[in-house]
Amino acid sequence: MAIELIPLHPLERGYLSVLRIRSAIVWLTLSAIAAAADAGLHWRFGIPFGFLAGLVFGWGVITVVFLVPGRWRRWGYAFTDRELHVANGWLTRRHTVVPVSRVQHIDVSQGPLERSAGVATLSLHTAGTEQNLVVLPGIRRERAEEIRDVIRSRISDAPW
Amino acid sequence: MSEAHPQPAEEVLPPRRLDPRTVLIRALPGLPSAILAVPVVLAASRGGGLTLALALMILALLMGVALISAWLSWRMFTYQVLPDQVVISRGIIHRSRRSIPAQRIQDVSIKQGVLARLIGLAEVRIETGGGEKDEGRLDSVSLAEAHRLRELLRGMSRAAAAPATATPLSGDADEPILFRLRFGRLLYFGLFRFSLLWIAAILGAGQYLDQVLDLDWDRWVQVWDGARQELVSRLSLVFALGAAGVAIGLGLMAGIIRTILQYYGFRLSLADGRFRYSRGLLTRSEVVVARRQIQLGLVEWGLLSGALGWCAFKVQTLGGSDHVSGRQELAPFARPSEVQPLIALAGLPVFDRSGLRPVSAWHTRIALIGFVAIPASVLVVAAIWFPLAGLLLFTLPLPLVVALLRRRHHRYALAETSLQVSRGVLKRREWTVPYGNIQSVTLRRGPLQRRMGVTSLRIDTAGGSGLNGPHIHDLVHRDATELVRRLAERVEAARSSAS
Repeated sequence: MAIELIPLHPLERGYLSVLRIRSAIVWLTLSAIAAAADAGLHWRFGIPFGFLAGLVFGWGVITVVFLVPGRWRRWGYAFTDRELHVANGWLTRRHTVVPVSRVQHIDVSQGPLERSAGVATLSLHTAGTEQNLVVLPGIRRERAEEIRDVIRSRISDAPW
Repeated sequence: MSEAHPQPAEEVLPPRRLDPRTVLIRALPGLPSAILAVPVVLAASRGGGLTLALALMILALLMGVALISAWLSWRMFTYQVLPDQVVISRGIIHRSRRSIPAQRIQDVSIKQGVLARLIGLAEVRIETGGGEKDEGRLDSVSLAEAHRLRELLRGMSRAAAAPATATPLSGDADEPILFRLRFGRLLYFGLFRFSLLWIAAILGAGQYLDQVLDLDWDRWVQVWDGARQELVSRLSLVFALGAAGVAIGLGLMAGIIRTILQYYGFRLSLADGRFRYSRGLLTRSEVVVARRQIQLGLVEWGLLSGALGWCAFKVQTLGGSDHVSGRQELAPFARPSEVQPLIALAGLPVFDRSGLRPVSAWHTRIALIGFVAIPASVLVVAAIWFPLAGLLLFTLPLPLVVALLRRRHHRYALAETSLQVSRGVLKRREWTVPYGNIQSVTLRRGPLQRRMGVTSLRIDTAGGSGLNGPHIHDLVHRDATELVRRLAERVEAARSSAS
């Protein structure tokens, strides 16, 4: 797009591996299910074994190798002192702006995969309804904590 | 009424239970459906040998269980008013004890259903800012106790809010009425709430009853068919017109009845920064809207009533709402001149139509593609196999008109202290959102929008559902980013000036 609101930082490369591993786990599970179904089909109808599982596995490989990086690239974020910008979405693009003073509370979390990749997820809760949780995954833990501390110092004590 | 029974705040009463008659109210509504279930069960087990006696025994057993569980939950539910908080303990197996601090109590509303009204009970709801719906619900206590609690809790929260100034307790009577629906206007209002949906519901209920009561519907159909063939052969046009007339008459009746049931005796008053409205014929409810909980104002103009100069004024509040949408109707059917002072009293800025700007021309074109072109082509293709689908093509002029008028009705402005958005063709809505109440802003671009270089802006506010929010659709991309930038600045400025 020609004009962007603000220059966005990409997520950490480490998060790409996290996304790939997660996606691979999902597709391997699906492949296993497909293989079981294949065995049944082979036994009942004589369809060559591995037909379904092969298709699923093949699509999984394409997803992990080509589509996941595309999705990863669509993520972006920027933190000015006054607002946090989070952009994502591949087909429908979203760019959310959360004014820092509207944040109700804030978490930094790190799952086992994320920990090994050295990234963390920052979650902002607002009093809104649709966007009451704005999640920014895949940034360095130190960066996440830095943002958290800045926001924390600026959360107002007004009720909402 | 509190003058008669002075209640010193220091005196701590022991925990109380709800009114014992609550047990009956909770268990009774299940009875009719249980009785209706008996013939169904019998019919289903026609070959199985379930006797009537056995079925009745099962029924009695079910009723017993319902009664006992209602009694148990009554037994385990206590509430206690302490000097600085209200404590509600509940739960049979999983006990919970919730305390509501006095300064969080916004107000106390009272609601009475039909059954409760007959035996003099009322549901008391302690309104707090946000939280879950059932947070401070006492269902049900006697009406006298409800009034006592209301006076007590109001005095308490007022003391917590401003210890120095002792404002006199205001009863219901001496609050000035800001708006009321008189009966004549109520009937007029009902005319605009014409609904065919209700006819369908009545017919549906008829069919359901028919199944339950095992009527011989087929025989009726035969009789009807015979009569109809006789009629159709002679006066089919007259008949059709007559049927349409009956349907319209029923629809009007349904609208009026529904309106009377819902809005009978609607009146709105304001005291101590809180709006209070009561309404309803059978179920009488009284709802309180604290002014500082108001997130945005919304004026709605119906298709027909709007053209005749009638509108509804609603506000969106944070928590404490009776409505699923989180919106409260402060004036359901009023003239703009009556609504103007209410908007000012709600602390909202004036909606200024002159400063509004239109969105991109693609707003209309995208609608033409999505609402008209795509459905039309689908229908044309479908008509090749199912010629009847072609008939649906005749319904397309409506979306066509909506699409064409859409951009004319969708405008926005950044006013001095609020974002103002108008949208909607069939029902025109005008939002006023003070900058300080915007929680976040999202730019959103679908695949088609991306190609056309337009962007939608979704404005997130507290307490409302996502649908029908003050969103701005299909802005030229450059305008959208510029708007977000300015909006974010103003949100931040409103915030820092408030604190």
